[in-house]
Amino acid sequence: MKKKKRTSKIITTVVIGAFSLIFVLPLIWMISASLKPNYEIFNYPIRWIPNPPMVQNYITVWTDETMPFGLMYLNSLKIAVFTIIGKLIISAGAAYAFSKMRFPGKNFIFILFLASMMIPTQVTILPRFVLFKELGLYNTHASLILPALFDVSAIFLLRQFYSAVPIDLSESAVLDGASHFRIWAQIIVPLTKAPMASLAILALVTSWNDYFNPLIFIVSKNKYTVSLGINNYTADVYVNMGLAASVSAILPILLLYIFCQKYFEQSIASSGIKG
Amino acid sequence: MAKTNRLARREAAQAYIFLGPSLLIFLVLVLLPVLFSGYLAFTNWDFASGFKGIQWVGFKNFVKLRTDRNFNFALQNTFIYTVASVPLTLLISLMFAYFLNGKVFFQKVMRTFVFIPYISNMVALALLFRCLFRSDGIINSMLTQTFGMKEGLKWMSSNDLNKIPIILLSTWASIGYSMVVYMAAMQGVSESLYEAAAIDGASSRQTFWHITVPLISPTTFFLMIIRMIAVFKIFTSVKVMSGHVTSRGNVSLIVKIYDDAFGNYKFGYASAEAWVLFVIIFAATLLQFWVKKKWVYD
Repeated sequence: MKKKKRTSKIITTVVIGAFSLIFVLPLIWMISASLKPNYEIFNYPIRWIPNPPMVQNYITVWTDETMPFGLMYLNSLKIAVFTIIGKLIISAGAAYAFSKMRFPGKNFIFILFLASMMIPTQVTILPRFVLFKELGLYNTHASLILPALFDVSAIFLLRQFYSAVPIDLSESAVLDGASHFRIWAQIIVPLTKAPMASLAILALVTSWNDYFNPLIFIVSKNKYTVSLGINNYTADVYVNMGLAASVSAILPILLLYIFCQKYFEQSIASSGIKG
Repeated sequence: MAKTNRLARREAAQAYIFLGPSLLIFLVLVLLPVLFSGYLAFTNWDFASGFKGIQWVGFKNFVKLRTDRNFNFALQNTFIYTVASVPLTLLISLMFAYFLNGKVFFQKVMRTFVFIPYISNMVALALLFRCLFRSDGIINSMLTQTFGMKEGLKWMSSNDLNKIPIILLSTWASIGYSMVVYMAAMQGVSESLYEAAAIDGASSRQTFWHITVPLISPTTFFLMIIRMIAVFKIFTSVKVMSGHVTSRGNVSLIVKIYDDAFGNYKFGYASAEAWVLFVIIFAATLLQFWVKKKWVYD
């Protein structure tokens, strides 16, 4: 009986393994093609191991001064870091107000926030474009960071975690002595590091992979993000470099995933179950 | 009494400090734009002409939408993307979630394989798919040289076929997410139900269809809505794969809105289109909630 079970598990492994292999094959092909000269890329049957590997593609992508991909990389990193830090602090503050404080208009504002989740960005993006032009924020990284700081789902998620922290704030000692700021910063935030980490990962991936907003708000090449950078190589003559840029864009997130798999999956699962 | 009042007021003031940044960004970058966009939908505005150029036109934009051929193509294509991609995503991710939950060896590696496309940059993936599906690309070489087809297919240029690579791409890139959500849901199903089924002599197929599937139906419902909304807003894959030149075969709603707004600077008209998109998403969500009552187990 046990042996039979083992055999069937092996068979399932082979079948599902083949299936999951189909999922990475295009990516493996991409890595291989990014190390080939242009005229060899579309040769068939596929030669999976480029010989010799054309590392020059990567060198060109990373050092070309007319298309400063390295700089775009830094831009994306900068935008992601500011977005993550800002979003976490701002959302955590709002979540604290919603879960632990009493103030007039609380429910109204909360419902308004939740309702705004229904509105697709595409509705707000044109007026935002006009506004940023008027404010002189068009073609700056702030135009990408500022809107991303307000995140209802982050506020909502943290509020749920905060509500689970048993602190009775009606005790006068708390009100007189320790301020709300200290309760928040010294007790609650340290207790909710795990959801914060998940939110940070989610914010990083969203910001790093965003294409729609940079496409609309950024025009100068030296302010481009990684997504805009890759898109510059769509012409046929640049195929290998475009693929080299693509691999460069995917790699950091992939490495992060391999090291922090838990937080990636938590960020998804928490949104999934509570959704 | 006076003291409690003072404390309450102090707390309210503090609360608004905590809430302030979120509230400010919400008011300036969400609420104000929503209102302004609602207004713009009823105007004719070439953005280049400045604020003075805004003309009130009433419902004219919405009337015009009904006869705008490109808008109708965009609407139709977006529906097709959704109807094709969402069930495909759910089915495949359900399969992976089921088998990668302890039924195979090396499940961690396989999970990573399935998950990678989801966290990858969509522009990069779209560029990759352009290489796979171009006329002399890998897929056509495979079809002609391995599977003996006489000639390759026009995946990119034919208006009948150019939706297919986009559907495949958006499905491929979203399965990782749905799989993880499904896995979490499956782990939540009580072990005792499976034990009871095993005692009753149920086969694993029966257990899957009569216990797992009904018990995770709330998750299926959740994923359906999430994926539907996401595919309705499909943009990057369409834009990049078509090399920024979309045709009536693959243009999507957001691509049309983007082109009208930033290609032609028709901000009023594009706003009207954006509101139609919102209403459709909203209606579809409500409809699903209504349908939910009939088949979701809870």
